[in-house]
Amino acid sequence: MASNIGIDRRDEDEVCPVCKSSRYLNPNMRFLINPECYHKMCESCVDRIFSSGPSSCPVAGCRKTLRKNRFRAQTFEDIGVEREVDIRRRVMHILNRREEEFDGKRAYDDFLEQREEIIANLVSRSDVAKTEAQLQKYATENMASIRTNQKIEEQEATSFHARISLEQEEARMRRQLAREELENERREMHAGREDFLSRLAAGTSSDAASIARESHKVQLRKSSARHSEQDRLRQKQAALRGSELKRGTNLSSVENAGPSDTGLIKGLRKIKTPEPEKPYDPFMGYLPEKRDYVTLQQSYPSQYLDRLRKSTQAAAGGFDLREYYSRTLMEAFAGLGCFVEEEIAERDANRSASAANEGAAMAAVDL
Amino acid sequence: MIEDDVYRTSSQYRLWSYTNASLQSLRATTNDVASQRVRAAIQRVGEAHLSATPSTSGTPQPGSDGETRKPDDKKIECLTPEEELVLVTYYCEKTLELGDEYKPPLPTMVRATAIQYLRRFYLTNSPMTYHPKDIMACALFLATKTDNYYMSLRQFAAGVPGGPSEEKVIAPEFLIMQGLRFTFDVRHPFRGLEGGVMELSAIAQGEGQAAPHMPSETPQELQRALLAIAPHPTPSSSIADRIGRAHGATRELLKSAAQMTDVYFLYTPSQIWMAAFLLADRPLAEFYLDTKLGGPLTQTTESNQNNLQNPLYELRTKLLQVISDCAALLHAYTSLSSDPDQMKSLKRIAKKLYHCQNPEKVNLKRDLAQPPASATDSAAASETESERLAKKRKLEEQKRSTNDMFGPELVADRTKH
Repeated sequence: MASNIGIDRRDEDEVCPVCKSSRYLNPNMRFLINPECYHKMCESCVDRIFSSGPSSCPVAGCRKTLRKNRFRAQTFEDIGVEREVDIRRRVMHILNRREEEFDGKRAYDDFLEQREEIIANLVSRSDVAKTEAQLQKYATENMASIRTNQKIEEQEATSFHARISLEQEEARMRRQLAREELENERREMHAGREDFLSRLAAGTSSDAASIARESHKVQLRKSSARHSEQDRLRQKQAALRGSELKRGTNLSSVENAGPSDTGLIKGLRKIKTPEPEKPYDPFMGYLPEKRDYVTLQQSYPSQYLDRLRKSTQAAAGGFDLREYYSRTLMEAFAGLGCFVEEEIAERDANRSASAANEGAAMAAVDL
Repeated sequence: MIEDDVYRTSSQYRLWSYTNASLQSLRATTNDVASQRVRAAIQRVGEAHLSATPSTSGTPQPGSDGETRKPDDKKIECLTPEEELVLVTYYCEKTLELGDEYKPPLPTMVRATAIQYLRRFYLTNSPMTYHPKDIMACALFLATKTDNYYMSLRQFAAGVPGGPSEEKVIAPEFLIMQGLRFTFDVRHPFRGLEGGVMELSAIAQGEGQAAPHMPSETPQELQRALLAIAPHPTPSSSIADRIGRAHGATRELLKSAAQMTDVYFLYTPSQIWMAAFLLADRPLAEFYLDTKLGGPLTQTTESNQNNLQNPLYELRTKLLQVISDCAALLHAYTSLSSDPDQMKSLKRIAKKLYHCQNPEKVNLKRDLAQPPASATDSAAASETESERLAKKRKLEEQKRSTNDMFGPELVADRTKH
C-alpha cells in the first residue's frame, strides 16, 4: 500500500488506512500526519479519534500516544524525507550557533559536522536516547544564547523579506515610470508636430525651412531635459536604496553575549565582558593628602607663619597655609628612600644592556 | 613610600642623578671630546692664518711657517677633568658672590639654582669650549627667570662686574638651556629643611603627631623622647633654641657645601638636608629619623616585632649609611677662596685655560641683526591681508544680493549683457 501511495498522492482511489474511505467517495478528503509516528490518516479520522483528548495511534502495531494539535498536512511525498526535515528543523533550532561565535573557520566546520552527525543519528535511529539526552542538556544549559540566536535569525529573515519586497516595489515603480515616460514622449511629439504643421500653414513659404529647424531643436531640447530629470531621479533612488541596505545590515549585525564554552560544542569564542570602568583617578593611586613619612597636621607652631595665618590680606588672596605645610613636608621626604647610587647604576646597566643589543656604537657612548 | 615615588618622577632624578663612577666617566668623556675639538680648532685657526699670510705677502713659505706651527700644536696642553671641576667650583663660588651684588641680594634659592645649572652644564660641556665666566652670569639670569624672581636684563647686566653688555650676558642662554636638556627644575633641600624643622618644633611643643608607620607614639611620648636626647656640645637654653641653632647651621651648610660639591648629582634633596642636619646636630637628626623609621632594634623589639618592622629597619640602616656618606662629602668641602694653596693652583689652571681655549667658540654674541627679509615679509603679509579683505567684501555683497527678496541688483545684470 505504501508503494501505492508513493506513486501518486492525488490518486483517485487513495484510501485512508484507518477508516478505509477512499477519495473517490470524498473528493475533499485531506490526509494528515503526526510527527510522533508519521502514520497517515484522513482528517475525519483525526477529528473522530483525537477530538476528546490524546489517544493512541489507530494503526496496528503503533502504540504512540498522539495529540490532535500536532497533526498537520504532509509536505513531502516521501514520509522519510518529511521525517528527516522535521528532525533537522528541530536540531537546527537548538544547535543554532552562528559562525561569528567560533574561534575560526575550522571550529565552525567542526560544529557543522557534529550537528550533521546528530541529525544523522536521529534519522537513522542509532543512539537515539544518548543523542536526545545530549540535545536536551545543551538546550537547558544554553537557553539564553539559543533564544538570542533565534531572535537574530528572525530579524535577518524579516529584513531579508523586507529587502526583497522593497526591490520588487522599486522594479514595479521603474516599469511604471518608463511606461509613463514613453506615453509622455509620444504625446509631446504629437503636439510638436501639430504645432509645426499649424505654423507652417500660417507662415509664408520662405519661413518653412527655419520653422522646421526650430521645431526640431525644441524637440531635442525637451528630450534632453527629460533625460537629465530622469537621471536625477534615478540617482536619488539609488541613494535611498543604499541607506536602506545599510540600515538592514545594521539590524542583522546585532552582537550579543552568551555563555562561553559548553560541554557539547567546542571552539566557541570566549566572550569577554568589558570590565566595568573604574572611577576616574587623577592622581593615579596617590591620594593628595596621603603621606608615608609624615602625618599632616592642621597647623604647626611657627612664629612667622602664625603671623601669616592671622593676616586677612593673605587669606583674602586665597593663600592656605596647609598648602605650604604639605609642600614643605613633601619636599622634606621626597626621595629619602631613593638610593641614587643603587638605582641609577641598575638603570644604567639596563640601558647599556639594551644598547648593546641594538649596536656596539650606542654601548660605547653609554660607557 | 609615596614621597619617593613622587621624587622619582622628577627630571632631577631621571636625568641628573648619577653614580660616582658614571659621573667621573662622564666628565672624563666630556674632557676628552673637548680636548680633541680644541686641538682641531686651534690647528684650523692656525692653518687659516697660514693661508692668509702668504696671500698678502705674495711669497709662499710653506716650509718655514708650517714647521714653526707644528711643534706649537703639540704644545697645546688641555685641562684635566679634575682641573675643570676645580674651575667650575670656583665659578660656582663666584655665582654666590655675584648674587650679593644686587640690591636686595638675590634669594638663596635663585643662586643655588644657578649654581646647579652651571654644574649640570659643565657635565656635558667643557670650560675649554665655553668659558665659565660667560656662562656664569647667564646661568644666574636664567635662574632668576626659572625661579620666578623677576629682574630685567638691563638691571641684571648692570650688576655683573666688568659691565658686560646686555647682549653679551644673554648670548649663551640657549646654549645653556640645551646643556640643561631643557630641564629647569632643580629640587633643592632648603624647603625640605623648613618642613623638618617645622615638624621638630611641633614635637618640641608637644603637638607633634606620629608618622604613619609608627602609629603607636603619642605627642607626649614624642616630646619626652625629644627632651631626653643627648645634649649638643654647645649648651642651649631650651630645645626650641637648639632646633633653631641647628636650623641655621644646616642652612649655611646647604648654601655653601651642598652647592659646591657633587651631592646634588649623587643624592636626593631630602638625603642632602638630612646629612647637613646630621652635621649640624647629630642627636637631633637621629632622633628625627627615628620618629619616622623607628629606632634601632633592641633585643625585645626584635623578638616580637621582627616581621612587622623589617622593611623599615632595612631602609633605616641603608639610609643611615647613605646619609653619613653624604655628610662626609659635605664635611670635606672647604672654600676655594679661603685656601691660598688652592688659589695658587687655580691661577695656574686659569693660565692654562687661556692657552687651550677653543678659539672658535670665543665670540658667543648672537647675531642680533634681524634678516632684512622681515620688512618685505610684513609688506607681503599686509598685501595678502588687503586682498583677503577685498575678497571678503565681495563675498558679502554677493550674499546680500542673493538674500534680497527682490533678487539681485538689476544694474549689474544690465552691464553684463
